[in-house]
Amino acid sequence: MVGPASVIRALDVHKTYGEIQAVNGVTFEVARGEVFGLLGPNGAGKTTTVEMLEGLRRPDSGRLEVLGIDVARDPDALKQRIGITLQTADLYPKLTVVEVLDLFRSFYRHTVPTDRLIEALGLGERRLAQTRQLSGGQRQRLGIALALVNDPEVLFLDEPTTGLDPAARRSLWDLITGLRAQGKTVLLTTHYLEEAEILCDRLAIMDHGRIIALGTVDALVDSRSTERTIRFDRIPGLVDGTLAALPGVSRVAHDDGITLLYTRDVPAAVGALLAAAAALGVEPDNLGIRRPSLEDVFLDLTGRALRD
Amino acid sequence: MHALLALTVANIRSFRRDRAALFWTLAFPLIFVVLFGLIFQGGSQKLRFGWVDDDRSAASVALRASFAGVAGIVLTDASHDSALADMHTGKLSAVLEVPLGYGARVAAASSVGGSAQPATITVYTDPSQASTSGLVLQVVSGVLGAVNLGGRPPLVEPVVASVQTQDLNGISYLVPSILGMALMQLGVFAAIPLVADREKHILKRLSATPLRRWQLVGSNVLMRLLIAIVQTIIIVGVGSWVFGLEIAGSLVIVGGLVILGALAFISLGYVIASFAPSEDAANGMTSIVQFPLMFLSGTFFVIDQMPAPLQLVARFLPLTYLSDALRQVMVNGAAFSPLWVCVAVLVGWTAVCFGISARFFRWQ
Repeated sequence: MVGPASVIRALDVHKTYGEIQAVNGVTFEVARGEVFGLLGPNGAGKTTTVEMLEGLRRPDSGRLEVLGIDVARDPDALKQRIGITLQTADLYPKLTVVEVLDLFRSFYRHTVPTDRLIEALGLGERRLAQTRQLSGGQRQRLGIALALVNDPEVLFLDEPTTGLDPAARRSLWDLITGLRAQGKTVLLTTHYLEEAEILCDRLAIMDHGRIIALGTVDALVDSRSTERTIRFDRIPGLVDGTLAALPGVSRVAHDDGITLLYTRDVPAAVGALLAAAAALGVEPDNLGIRRPSLEDVFLDLTGRALRD
Repeated sequence: MHALLALTVANIRSFRRDRAALFWTLAFPLIFVVLFGLIFQGGSQKLRFGWVDDDRSAASVALRASFAGVAGIVLTDASHDSALADMHTGKLSAVLEVPLGYGARVAAASSVGGSAQPATITVYTDPSQASTSGLVLQVVSGVLGAVNLGGRPPLVEPVVASVQTQDLNGISYLVPSILGMALMQLGVFAAIPLVADREKHILKRLSATPLRRWQLVGSNVLMRLLIAIVQTIIIVGVGSWVFGLEIAGSLVIVGGLVILGALAFISLGYVIASFAPSEDAANGMTSIVQFPLMFLSGTFFVIDQMPAPLQLVARFLPLTYLSDALRQVMVNGAAFSPLWVCVAVLVGWTAVCFGISARFFRWQ
């Protein structure tokens, strides 16, 4: 993950806006072909970090390299070889999909045919529609199509699924997975944990301008917590006091008719639970064991939920 | 270069599909010309002559009767000064003046075998109002032809004197004014889409492509210049085909002034865009800039007739110089400043405004 194969490098990057330390010493590398996520709440510094890598903002200090190009020194060479989307993408409302794509193709030396892009992004039926008539998901697809007109080696996607309905979000996930299959390197920001878990090979969790954890989803989950959750449909005769007293159980919680037991010793806790249920003459329904999620990791790292 | 053209085409397409923009830039000036043209035409179907009789002889009274007998002519008796003043403000189309001694000279010229010079009357017309002055001279020569009865040498000859009027109601005053105003609005309004594009992060998105900033600005300017030319064709075309405006000067120079004027106000629009924090602010600032320009630059009021403090303000407004230059070249209008001064002011203004916006415009 470090070495010549890495196509994005950020080294001790700082950026302040007035009094606000937006990015405060960020360092990471992304390998060729990886989907890398920057995860964090709004205002964590994700967008500022990405926009510095795209050459849209200058860092106060630190070094940024993309595809071996020093971003500060040669942003023009870089722009030929990367593709980007912004969070807001209301481009040319009165132009059609084809017209906007052709316009963007005129900016680059090397381009992909418009028809192929339209096909790849499933915009065929809307090719002659003006962009203001597109749905949110279609608009986001057009944004990604525009990022792909120059067949870039590296893609920066800033919150690609924010504001989309679940179906549109899922179809965009498929699209991004497809880009990885084509060997493109993708850096995306998101504040959706599920999105990060599904899409990203590795991710950096950002908060207050710093990276507070970095690694694969599995590694992040394992390193931060060995606590598991045992879940089952609520059993009327079992009160919280009884459950909390079971061996290995550290905490009891309820969520919409489901009881959650937190434990670091799954076999002991499950055995005791089954015994307690048997004493009442019942078996727990929908019994399951869940490992901690990124949500738990984020909570553990910052002491607050991601969406607060 | 390819990107510059592609972006210009994209801008033009967007503009063409925007009905509000089309109306304000193309239909609105047209409505202005037609409206003022009709008002002017309604009041001027008759030729209004001022009649100044310094001779008060039987011959001069007879001559007056000859003119009064022509259909479509209104004669108003007046003194020399008041007649010329009325002509200056457009109340009279022309002034006829019979000099002292007219009767005596007619008698001398008509005596048998007389070799005396013919008597003269003075015809004051404004050659910049070409169709009116042409009509006036036609009427005068017709009447005098009847008076002379083919006598050789003629008894009475006209002496034509040019008067430069500033006929506020005249289409020849209004067309350059409306053209200047349209160019001013076209330019100043360049601020709004630019600020909107910045607010919607379109400029940021374009900055992430290899597109150069000069290409972005260039395509913007190109589109506006193209619209300026279309506006000019519409305004001048309707002025001349419908209302008989005659362009006195060179169309090439008019075209040059139109482009220079458009650039001067586009650059002013960019200054507004440099300091407007939002689209709403840009709208407000555009209005604040637009109205003094519209009302204090001699568009609707002749500058010489404005109060002195406002005349001073007018001297600092670029539209004053654009309208003045257009008037001078298009209709031989009375000059407020020499043409070279107008051009120099507009060039200087453009350079300063582009300089300010290059320094202060924020792309994101």
